Amino acid sequence: MTPGTPRDRRRAPRAAAAAGAGLLLVPLAGCGSGGGSGGGGDIRIGVPAPLSGDSASAGQDILAAAKVAADEVNKAGGVRGRSIRIVQADDACSAQQGAQAAQKLLNSKVVAVAGGYCSGAAVPAIPIYGRRDVPFVLDASTNPSLTETGKGKVFRTCGRDDNQGALAAKFMTGQLGARRVAVLHDNTTYAKGLADAAAGSAKGLGAQVVYEDALQPGQSDYSPVLTKIASTKPDVVYFTGYFAEAGLLLRQRKQLGLKFTLMGGDATTDSTVLKTAGAAADGYIATTAPLAKDLPAAASFVAAYKARNGADPGPFSVYEYDAVKLLAKVMGDTGSTKGPDITKALHGVKDYPGITGPITFDQKGDRTDPLYITVRVQKGAFTAYKKLDKTGAAWVDARTGS
Amino acid sequence: MSDFVQYLVNGLTIGAFLALIALGYSMIYGVVRLINFAHGDVFMIGAFAGFGVLTTLGATGGMALPAVLAAVAAGALATGVLGAGVARAAYLPLLASPRLAMLIAAIGVSLALEEGVKVLTHARFKSYPNALDGGQVMSGAVRVTYGQLALVLLAVALMAGLWLFVTRTVTGTAMRALAMDRDAARLQGIDVERLVLATFFAGSLLAGAAGVMYGLYYTQISFGMGFLIGLRAFTAAVLGGIGNLPGTMAAGVCIGLVQSFSAGYVSSRWTDVIIFGLLIAVLALRPTGLFGERVVERA
Amino acid sequence: MKTLRRPDATALARHAGWPLLLLAALAAGQVLDDYAVTVAGTILIYAILGLGINIVVGYAGLLDLGFAAFFAIGAYTSGLLMLKLHWGFWATLPVAVLAAAASGVVIGYPTLRLRSDYLAIVTLGFGEIIRITVVNLDVTGGPNGLTGIPPVTVGGREIVTPPDFFYLALAFFAAVLVLTGLLARTRLAYAWRAVRADDRAAEAVGVPTRRVKLLAYVLGAAVGSVAGPLNAAQLGTVDPSSFTFLTSLMILLVVIIGGMGSRPGVVVGAVVVVALPEALRTVQEYRGLFFALLLVLIVLVRPQGVWPARPRRFARPAAAGPEPAPPAAGGGVLEVEGLTRRFGGVTAVEDLSLRAGAGEVVSVIGPNGAGKTTAFNCVTGMIAPDAGTVRVAGRRVHGLAPHRVAAAGLARTFQNIRLFEELTVAENVLVGRFARDRSLLRPPSRADAAAVRRCLEFTGLAEAADRPAGGLPYGDRRRLEIARALAAEPRALLLDEPAAGANPTEKRALMDLIGRVRARGVAVVLIEHDVALVMSVSTRVVVLDRGRAIAAGPPAEIRADDRVIAAYIGVPDDPDAGLQAEVLR
Repeated sequence: MTPGTPRDRRRAPRAAAAAGAGLLLVPLAGCGSGGGSGGGGDIRIGVPAPLSGDSASAGQDILAAAKVAADEVNKAGGVRGRSIRIVQADDACSAQQGAQAAQKLLNSKVVAVAGGYCSGAAVPAIPIYGRRDVPFVLDASTNPSLTETGKGKVFRTCGRDDNQGALAAKFMTGQLGARRVAVLHDNTTYAKGLADAAAGSAKGLGAQVVYEDALQPGQSDYSPVLTKIASTKPDVVYFTGYFAEAGLLLRQRKQLGLKFTLMGGDATTDSTVLKTAGAAADGYIATTAPLAKDLPAAASFVAAYKARNGADPGPFSVYEYDAVKLLAKVMGDTGSTKGPDITKALHGVKDYPGITGPITFDQKGDRTDPLYITVRVQKGAFTAYKKLDKTGAAWVDARTGS
Repeated sequence: MSDFVQYLVNGLTIGAFLALIALGYSMIYGVVRLINFAHGDVFMIGAFAGFGVLTTLGATGGMALPAVLAAVAAGALATGVLGAGVARAAYLPLLASPRLAMLIAAIGVSLALEEGVKVLTHARFKSYPNALDGGQVMSGAVRVTYGQLALVLLAVALMAGLWLFVTRTVTGTAMRALAMDRDAARLQGIDVERLVLATFFAGSLLAGAAGVMYGLYYTQISFGMGFLIGLRAFTAAVLGGIGNLPGTMAAGVCIGLVQSFSAGYVSSRWTDVIIFGLLIAVLALRPTGLFGERVVERA
Repeated sequence: MKTLRRPDATALARHAGWPLLLLAALAAGQVLDDYAVTVAGTILIYAILGLGINIVVGYAGLLDLGFAAFFAIGAYTSGLLMLKLHWGFWATLPVAVLAAAASGVVIGYPTLRLRSDYLAIVTLGFGEIIRITVVNLDVTGGPNGLTGIPPVTVGGREIVTPPDFFYLALAFFAAVLVLTGLLARTRLAYAWRAVRADDRAAEAVGVPTRRVKLLAYVLGAAVGSVAGPLNAAQLGTVDPSSFTFLTSLMILLVVIIGGMGSRPGVVVGAVVVVALPEALRTVQEYRGLFFALLLVLIVLVRPQGVWPARPRRFARPAAAGPEPAPPAAGGGVLEVEGLTRRFGGVTAVEDLSLRAGAGEVVSVIGPNGAGKTTAFNCVTGMIAPDAGTVRVAGRRVHGLAPHRVAAAGLARTFQNIRLFEELTVAENVLVGRFARDRSLLRPPSRADAAAVRRCLEFTGLAEAADRPAGGLPYGDRRRLEIARALAAEPRALLLDEPAAGANPTEKRALMDLIGRVRARGVAVVLIEHDVALVMSVSTRVVVLDRGRAIAAGPPAEIRADDRVIAAYIGVPDDPDAGLQAEVLR
């Protein structure tokens, strides 16, 4: 046997491997082709969202809402006769994929972007859109820094963590009369931001923050954390993490027979909490932007969403819907699909009647109206509870306003 | 003081799960020298299998106990078959390949199981029916629920069963022989492949049972539930001395206690740093784990 | 001989492959759109990480499931220096690399004594410790990580557009490629591969395995960490969620998919790991599932990787050159006094004394379980003796690590042959040179090459030089072990049952070989069951029974010793006993 033979045999798969690896790059390179939407044809709106990874379900809810909005616009004749097309891109909730998703959307000639979920994925994407003057309307990323560093080209239809934190602190110290406040987060960007804001505001309002720490999500047993918190004797515990942990916390708090009030942030208003905690969820209060079902203006959207997807919209679906509809409106009004024109028009929007309430943006691109309210679990469902009145001094019923 | 006891109770509960899962890592490593990365996901599949049975049978009122037992049995059996099937399809063909190849196959299987369930469940959490919502054994300053008690007892029973199987049956003895020396075992007429499959079956069975019990106790399951607990169970298996079943069980309980006490006296967010730091420190001092490994390094 | 030479086309591929690839990449940067170029930049980042982990996993065979930690350390060190101290990118680069190298020591050190499988959990744990720590600390920005990292400036030009960044990454990749290419030619690379194949055997033939392993971690970390600052500059942010266990897995996959120890494989692996999920974007939520299934498929179809490492022919000089002067023979070369070793209650070796002078052959015989191999292991430092002294040419060697014993001039072979199976015959012999010359960070010297050639010719293995050791027939494997031991130019050579399983022709050849070795002034110590062979080659014979020397002297004396005969007959369980007693008579 000559040594040449096995070597030759090895070479064939090697060549195939190299060719295969090369082929992988072809579809990537091909993405740029296809008609642009700057001139004629349809108008493309980019929707970056986590379509894979742990936050995939939230991303799907956002994408579905964008499609509902686009369908509506197109059925009503589109934007000056041109139809809207949603271009999706998976950001996988990661910085690296977020940057790549942004490039992919720009390649697909999107004129504006409406979406996002994880702040971590949005941070590197913002300068990428910014360099091409493509406006970015966030529907779910509530981290204050995003609009602060967005140079006026970033907007959001959702609220800001610091606003929510302030409201939570007011509610705990005012409505619930808490003197000793514990704040629990899960060490994610969102939860820590909200926790810091709430703890800071609570201190400013004269309360004592007896505990501020994180649990580790994903471990299911939070009894030790709850026992530890109970030992600091708080009146209220504000949990700023996600719904998966909230349900378990409620359940285990009951098992341990702990008496303090457990309150949550807007990532906890998911029906999973009710299923997991069962009766232990009764009376649970959360701060949140109004839920779709409590927004009278959103009824038709909810119906359309259900008809299209066979499920209820997610918590951020309404904001995505408003973002897409708003973009369609300003493009229709100005008659331009150029980024700077859209950006300028967005800054000029005054009390646009969104399904999440009237929309007006401040200089940074945040909504001027306070968004957040509190909801409470009653009869196995989250129902609107209290909100601050116009003066910001008194708590009134969130539905009746009295 | 009552806090201390409460941490102890919670730590033991967590430790019971960890021990059950860690046993599978330890057994499988013993016979094929594979860190079965998919083991945590097998645990997850068990939880979903049990969920399927419970929601089909309905688990309320008088039906609760039979339904629960049926779910545990079905979940365990389903994962046992799954574990052996995966081993047959993805691991056995690689027995003669470089060791890392099998490890990567295991990582691939782990991702595939996780992603598969994610697609099927649309990445949503599922909630078990409240079948275990019983009363309290102790309801003073320290709380112990009947659910906790039942769970720990069941875990102990399963581990005792495994111990009898490994020490008292021919198959179990053959498994131990295989762990000692694969070639010698083959020369003694042991059907290595069949035995490897049997080991995967037994290890996965325990993980599956743990999965259903986990679902019953915590009520909330998801595609990603196997990752963190799998990691900690794996740590326990190494800490206890891999291949050493009593050591593995003891280390599983230890890790459970560390998880509980670290959350209580330090902070939950440093738990994994403490667990892994402990592991590295122990291995640096005792390279074969706390209780010594029971596998032989082939010369 | 002609078939051994590589065809010209392959030689071209070997030498022209990289420049062609880099040229193609240069062109691609011009042609591809921004998105594809961004993805290509990410591929380069993963390729750099892959070249780093290739050192640890591919060359040295140390499994690392926490490599993202070095990625993170590089990114955070650079990012923090830029943000807090306002350093420029280029100034932070060496600091980031140094920080990662230092952490390579931290992770490497406690793992040195561990069995290889435990590395998985320890490295994984280390990766998690780093990630959780940066998330928990305020100075690293907590879960937000670092934001607002300024772009890199090259000659006053800010690198912000995707093509610019791609070229920057390409330059980094090329630099790392050259560096790792140089590293792959050093003696260290051979030491790594020997450690990967069999670390105990490597230690025994003179490779300082601890230092070699530690260097794998340090250099792997240093190389991989370069990707950190690059990635931070690309994204303008350092996000702690980029450094999870999943990232570590992806980095590991780069080298596993490509083929361990293969640098072209790393590039293929990086393309698969980064571009495959991108290509699978169209299948949306099935993306992860497809990727996972493809992964299993790739491993099942090609367990060695898509582009396995190719054996490189170790160049040897045409002529062996002059023999080195034989070591000055004086008195006893190997002196063992009062050697004792107990295992629990069993005394395996008791008060053993042994002397072997230059040019002598001293044989140790005894029934199975008499403690012969244990005695060898004590003498060579593989087992610590409980008492006794071992001197080589008057120098104390007991208590030293095996590689130091080997360096003192004591070479050995193993009862159950321990070759470096994946290395070629010539490379096996080259590794034996470490006992003579421990230097690592330079290519094998001319003296190395000459010694390899000489030893191969001496043992008659020159023809098989470029074949993998794993494929040799049994007799050649024994001879290769001796060639590897001789490469160290030892003062004393310890042979553990070299004739086991040999046929009469091979035994004659072995006796001849032993004769030629002793003729060069080497002291030979032989453990052997073939009494006829022992009696014909030995200067002196020592008989061991239950750990004790019961007789010692010239062959003729031993042949007549009643105690020896009794010892052999007194072990009825040993099937060889009767036979050996017959031979003795």
